[in-house]
Amino acid sequence: MRRRAGISGLTMADRILYNLLQVVVVIAFAPLVEGVTNRLKENLQSKAGPSIFQPYRDLWKLLHKDEIVSEYSSWIFRAAPYVAFVAPVFVALLIPVLTRYPLFFAFMGDMLGGGFVLALGGFFSTLAAVDTANPYGPMGASRTRMVGFLAEPVFIVVFLTVSFVAGSTIPYIVQTRWVSPIANFFEPSHILLLIAFLMLILAEDGRIPVDSPSGTFELAMIDRSKSLEYSGRGAALMKWAGAMKLLILVLIFLNVLVTPWGLAHGMGVGEVLGAIPLVLLKVFGFVLVLVYIESSLAKLRLFRITEFLGAAFVIAVIAMITRLSEI
Amino acid sequence: MGMNSSPFPVISALDALTGALFLLTALGVLATRQVLASLQFFIAQSLLLTLSAALLGVALNSPHLFAVAAITIATKTILIPLVLRRTVSAEVYRTREIERVLNIPASLLIAALLVVLAYVIANPVLATVDAPFAQVNLPLGIAAMLLGVFTVAVRREAVPQLLGLLAVENGVFFAGVAIVPNLPVIAELAAAVDVPVVALVVGLLTRRIQLRVGTTAVGSLSSLRER
Amino acid sequence: MELAAIILLPAAASALCWSPFGRRFAAPTTLASAIIVLALALGVSMQAARLGHFDAAHGWLTCDGLGALIVVLVAMVGTTAAVFSWGYIRLRSRHAHADPSKEQNYYVLYNLFLMSLFAVPLLANVALMWVAVELTTLLSAFLVGFEDTPEALEAAWKYVVLTTLGAVLALLGFLILYWGSRVAGEPPFTWLGLVSAAPRMPPSLLWPAFLFILVGFGVKVGLVPMHTWLPDAHSQAPASICALLSGVETTTVLYVILRLFPVVGGAAALDARPWFIGFGLLSVAIATLLLVYVRDFKRMFAFSTVEHMGIILVAAGLGGAEAHLGAAYQMTGHAIAKSFCFLAAGALTAIFGTQEIPAVRGIVKYAPFSALAFVAGAFAIAGAPPFAIFISELMILKAGIDGGHYLVIGLLAFFLVIAFCSILFHVTRMTFGAPRPDTTIAVAPISCGIALVVAAIPLVAIGVYLPSIFQGLLRAAAAAMGG
Repeated sequence: MRRRAGISGLTMADRILYNLLQVVVVIAFAPLVEGVTNRLKENLQSKAGPSIFQPYRDLWKLLHKDEIVSEYSSWIFRAAPYVAFVAPVFVALLIPVLTRYPLFFAFMGDMLGGGFVLALGGFFSTLAAVDTANPYGPMGASRTRMVGFLAEPVFIVVFLTVSFVAGSTIPYIVQTRWVSPIANFFEPSHILLLIAFLMLILAEDGRIPVDSPSGTFELAMIDRSKSLEYSGRGAALMKWAGAMKLLILVLIFLNVLVTPWGLAHGMGVGEVLGAIPLVLLKVFGFVLVLVYIESSLAKLRLFRITEFLGAAFVIAVIAMITRLSEI
Repeated sequence: MGMNSSPFPVISALDALTGALFLLTALGVLATRQVLASLQFFIAQSLLLTLSAALLGVALNSPHLFAVAAITIATKTILIPLVLRRTVSAEVYRTREIERVLNIPASLLIAALLVVLAYVIANPVLATVDAPFAQVNLPLGIAAMLLGVFTVAVRREAVPQLLGLLAVENGVFFAGVAIVPNLPVIAELAAAVDVPVVALVVGLLTRRIQLRVGTTAVGSLSSLRER
Repeated sequence: MELAAIILLPAAASALCWSPFGRRFAAPTTLASAIIVLALALGVSMQAARLGHFDAAHGWLTCDGLGALIVVLVAMVGTTAAVFSWGYIRLRSRHAHADPSKEQNYYVLYNLFLMSLFAVPLLANVALMWVAVELTTLLSAFLVGFEDTPEALEAAWKYVVLTTLGAVLALLGFLILYWGSRVAGEPPFTWLGLVSAAPRMPPSLLWPAFLFILVGFGVKVGLVPMHTWLPDAHSQAPASICALLSGVETTTVLYVILRLFPVVGGAAALDARPWFIGFGLLSVAIATLLLVYVRDFKRMFAFSTVEHMGIILVAAGLGGAEAHLGAAYQMTGHAIAKSFCFLAAGALTAIFGTQEIPAVRGIVKYAPFSALAFVAGAFAIAGAPPFAIFISELMILKAGIDGGHYLVIGLLAFFLVIAFCSILFHVTRMTFGAPRPDTTIAVAPISCGIALVVAAIPLVAIGVYLPSIFQGLLRAAAAAMGG
C-alpha cells in the first residue's frame, strides 16, 4: 500500500509543522478537557460545578507561586515533573491527533514505544513519590505499580490483536486498517476491545471505580498521592502532565480504535485546523460517557481491583480469540 | 472474513454485536458477587437472545424464529424472574458470595480458556457445513454453554447455580436459532415450557432448603460423602 | 390406542389423587392404575414382539422391541413400588413434620413420574422425547427430597441441577442432529427417520452430536465421571422411589443413548464403539472400587446401578447380535433385581431405622423374612446363579471373547468378581453377624412384605424360565439396538 507520507503536495516543512501543531493542541487543550470533565460530573449530580476554564486558572496560579523542595530529596524529585510533562508530549508526536496520514515523527516509534514513553513518565513520578519522606508517597507509589502491572497484560493483548490484524504496529496504519469498512465497527472483537480498553483507561488514569480523582483522603489515594509533595511550578507541571496523560489515552482510544471520523484527509492547513474542533467534539463525547460511568459506580476496594482488571484482561483475550479465529 | 461474504451484511454485523454482548453477559453471570446482579445479567442475556432470534427471523423470513423470540421474552425475561421472586424469599437476593470455590480472577481466566475450547469445538463443524449465521452463533452459543456449566461448578449460592443452568440453555438456543431455524414450533414450545418448570422446581427446592437447612449456600452442602 | 392409554392413565390417576378423592384413596388409585397399565404394557410388548414395530396416534407415538421392553420394565417396577409405597409412605409421612397432604402429594408426583417414564420410549418425535426425559427429572425432584432432611434436600438439589445440566447439553446434541438431518434430506425427526438418513449426514456433525448426547445424558445414566449425584439421590430417596430411579429411570435414559448407536454406526468412518466401551469400563471400574468402602447399604446398591449401566454400555459397544441380546437381558434382569433390592433395603430401613451398614447386624434373628429377601436380592444383583444377571453376564462375556476383545472382557470379569465379593461381604455381615446390643426394632408395614413377595416372582422366574414370547421380545429389542 502506498505510504501517504510519500505523496506529493506535502513538503517536509508541512509535516513538521503539523506534527508541532498536534503537540500544541494536546498541551493547550488538556486542561480544558479536565475542566469539562469536572464540570459535567458536578452537573450530573445536579450541582453547578466549577467553570470549564478553572484548570487554566489553577495552573496560572501555581506557576506564579513559590516552590518549596525538601532538602532530603534528590535530583529525581526535582526532575520528575519535567519528565512527567515531556513524556505525553513525545507520545503526542507519535499518535494520530489531527490527521489520518502519518506525519514527520510517525515512524519514530510505534504503539509499544509510545507505551514505554508514557511508562517512563509514570516511573519517574513513582520514584519521586518514594523520594520524599512523606508516608503517603510510597504507599501511593506501590499501589500505582500494582494497578500498572495488572493493566499491562490488557494493553499488550489489545495492541497484539489490533496490530496482528492491521499488519503493523504504527498507530496511523492500524487506524486505517482496523475500522475499515465501517461495518467492522460492529464486529464482536471490536466492541469487546473497546470495552477492555475503556476499563484500562479507567484504571490507568485513576478514575472511579479504581480511584477517586476528587478525593482528599490520603489513605485511600492511589494516583494523586504521588504529587502531594509538590508546590509551585512542580505542582503545575504534574497537574498538567496528568491532564495530558488522560487526553493522550483518550486520543489513542478514539482515533486509533474507535473510528477515524473527524481526522483530516486533506493536506491543507485549513483542513488540519478544521480537524481540531471535530476531534475535540469526539473527545467531549467520550467525556460524557466517562462522566456517566464515574457517577454510577462506586469505588472498588483495593484488592477488588485485581478482579476488575482481570475481567478487562479476559474480555481482551476473548476479543483476540473471536477475531483471530475468523481469519 | 466470514462477515463480509455473508449475504446479509447489515444483519450479520448486528448479530455479531449481539453475540459479543451475549458472551459478556455470560461472563457477568459467572463473575458478579451479588445474587441480584447475576439475575440482572441473566435477564440481559435472554434479551440479547431474543434480539438475535428476531434478527435472524428478519433475515431468513422465518416465522418460527419470531415465535422463538416471543417465547423467549415471555418465559425468560418475564416469567422466570417472577417465579424466582415468588418462590425464593427476598433476603436471598441481598446476599453476596464472599467465599467462592475459585476466586474471581482465576475463574475469569478459566472462562477465557473455555471460550477457546468452544471455538476448537465449533470450527471443524463450521468448516464442512454452513448455515447463514452459524459462523457467529455456533461458537458463541457453545462458549456461553460452557461458561454456564462452569458457573454451576464454581458458584456456591443456589440462585446463581440455577442461573448458570438457565444460561447454558440460553447458549444452546443461541446456537440453535442459527443452525436449526425451522425446528417445529411444537418442539420449541415444549423446550421453552421446560424452562419455567425448571425455575419453579428449583425455586421451590431452594425455599425448602432455606427453611430446613438455614442457608442457601448449596455449594457448601457436603454431608453426603464416603468417610 | 393402548400406547396412548399407557401414557394417559397415570396422568388421570394423578389428577384423581390431586382431587379430594385422593385424600383417602390415593394409594389404591395408584395401585389400580399401575396394574391396568402393566396389563396394557404386556399386551403391547407381545404385539411389538410379533410385528416388530408399530405406530399409533397418527404417528405421534411409536413402539418397537426395545421401546416395548422398557415400557414393560417400567410398568413392572411401577406396580411393585406402588404396592410397597402403600404402607411405607404412610409410615414415613407420619414421622416427618406433620404435613397432612404429604402422602397425597407423593402419589400425585408418583403417577406423573410414571407417566413421564412411559413417555420416553413411546414418543416418536425426538425433541418431544427430550422434553419427556427432562420431565422425569423435574417430576421426581420432590420425590427424592421427600424425607425433608437436609441430606435429602442436598441430594435432591444435586440431582436436579446436575441432570438438568446434562439434559441441556444433550439438547445441543439433538439440535445438531436435526441440523444434520436437514442437510441429509429432511426425514421426519424420529429415531427411524434418523437411522435412515444417517448415511447421508456429514460425520463432522454426527460426531459432536454424539458426544454431546453421550456426555449429557450420561450424567443422568450415572456414567463416570458424571455420576456424583447418583449415590446421594438414590440413597436419600424413599425406598420405593429408589427402586424406580435405580431400576428403570437410569435404564430409560440409557435406552436413549443406545438408540443413538445405530444412528452413528450407520455413517461411515465413525466408530462409536470405543466411546461406549471406554465409558462403560470406566463406570464399572470406579463403581466397583467405591463399592468396597461404602458405609450405607442403599448407597451400595446405588453404586451397583452405576456398575450395571457400565456393563450394559460395554455390551452395546461390543456389537453383534449376541452382545446386544446380552445387553437386553441384562437390562431386564437389572431392573427387576435392583428394584427388589431397594424394596428389601426399604423394609430394613423401616425395621432398623438406619441405613448404615455398621449399625445393622444380625437381621436374620430379628426379621427372618426381610433377611431372606435381602440376601436373595443381593445374590441376584451380584450376579449369582440361578438369577438372570448371571446368565446375561455370561452371555456378554462370551460374546466379547467370540469377538476377540480379550482385554475388555478380562477387565470386565475382574471388576465383576470384585463387585460380587464386596456386595456379598457387606450383605452377609449384615445378615448373619452378631446382633448389636443397642438395636431398636420396629415392625415393617405389611404392604412391604406383600410387595417383596410380588416382586420376587419375576425375580426368580426370569432366571429359571423365560417364556418364549418374552424371549422374542428380547430378541426384537436386541435387533433394534443395531445388531
